[in-house]
Amino acid sequence: MLFDEMKKNDQLIIGDKSFSSRLFTGTGKFNDQQTMVAALKASQSELVTMALKRVDMQHRDDDILAPLIKNGMKLLPNTSGARNAKEAVFAAELAREALQTNWVKLEIHPDPKYLLPDPIETLKAAEMLANKGFIVLPYVHADPVLCKHLEAAGCAAVMPLGAPIGSNKGIKTADFLEIIIEQANIPVIVDAGLGSPSHAALAMEMGADAVLVNTAIAVAGNPVAMSEAFAKAVQAGRQAYLAGLGGQSTQAIASSPLTAFLEASL
Amino acid sequence: MKIHVNEQVLELAENINIEQLLVHLDKPLIGSAVAVNQDIISRSHWADTILNEGDNISLFQAIAGG
Repeated sequence: MLFDEMKKNDQLIIGDKSFSSRLFTGTGKFNDQQTMVAALKASQSELVTMALKRVDMQHRDDDILAPLIKNGMKLLPNTSGARNAKEAVFAAELAREALQTNWVKLEIHPDPKYLLPDPIETLKAAEMLANKGFIVLPYVHADPVLCKHLEAAGCAAVMPLGAPIGSNKGIKTADFLEIIIEQANIPVIVDAGLGSPSHAALAMEMGADAVLVNTAIAVAGNPVAMSEAFAKAVQAGRQAYLAGLGGQSTQAIASSPLTAFLEASL
Repeated sequence: MKIHVNEQVLELAENINIEQLLVHLDKPLIGSAVAVNQDIISRSHWADTILNEGDNISLFQAIAGG
């Protein structure tokens, strides 16, 4: 098959939705709304995350929804702030009303220092939410066994972490992500810790179906330019994966013929 | 009548519904979710859910996040 055709047919399907872009983005930590919208547009992302909070009665928050909807982005509410399965289910049900979507990024991280996901509560909540008809995308540690349990529970994808949220440390969990990718029958989205476009490219070369990036774009010197860089890296990494990477070897393997023509002319 | 909205006590007219409450509070209808005494009220029932004295209203709103 011609590569152009391969790329055209290379759609990512999650639940009932098909995506052309494999870069998902978050809306947090941007300095202002205008920069956020410009950066998200530059990313060509079709799925963007949002959070939910109790309304502050004293202030009116910026309306960030309208520009996202106007630009055709699908919204993925998260359950950030939930400390256990019960709170996460409540948050997901609120988010469904607020954003009129049954998609949810399930995240339960009770410890604010490392924000590591609680596997036991996450699995419990995933089962409950899948039974209630939600399209569940759980944020989890790069744990292959847990990811299989989540798949069996009816999750639409899994979102294992590369490194702690917002740490920009890159893929510290590579060996385990490889096992997750090898075993999964649902899309694997590498989430959290991706700090530079090369990290995102590496995840895609490894065979991840998509990546989710927020902090690395939002806090960059120029978020719009960084967003575009991530988009290119994700495309390059995906293309490399589809093209089939060459194997590695310890010993050198010559790229040029080792004929001794220089010696011959002496 | 008195109701609680996110821990704040409000004095409101009788027979006010959820939609009217949000307008009264100048809160956006899009991107909001409402629970009355811990029960989430579906958007399609905002106009016909009348609030009562002593109700505990929780208001939530979509915000930026990762």
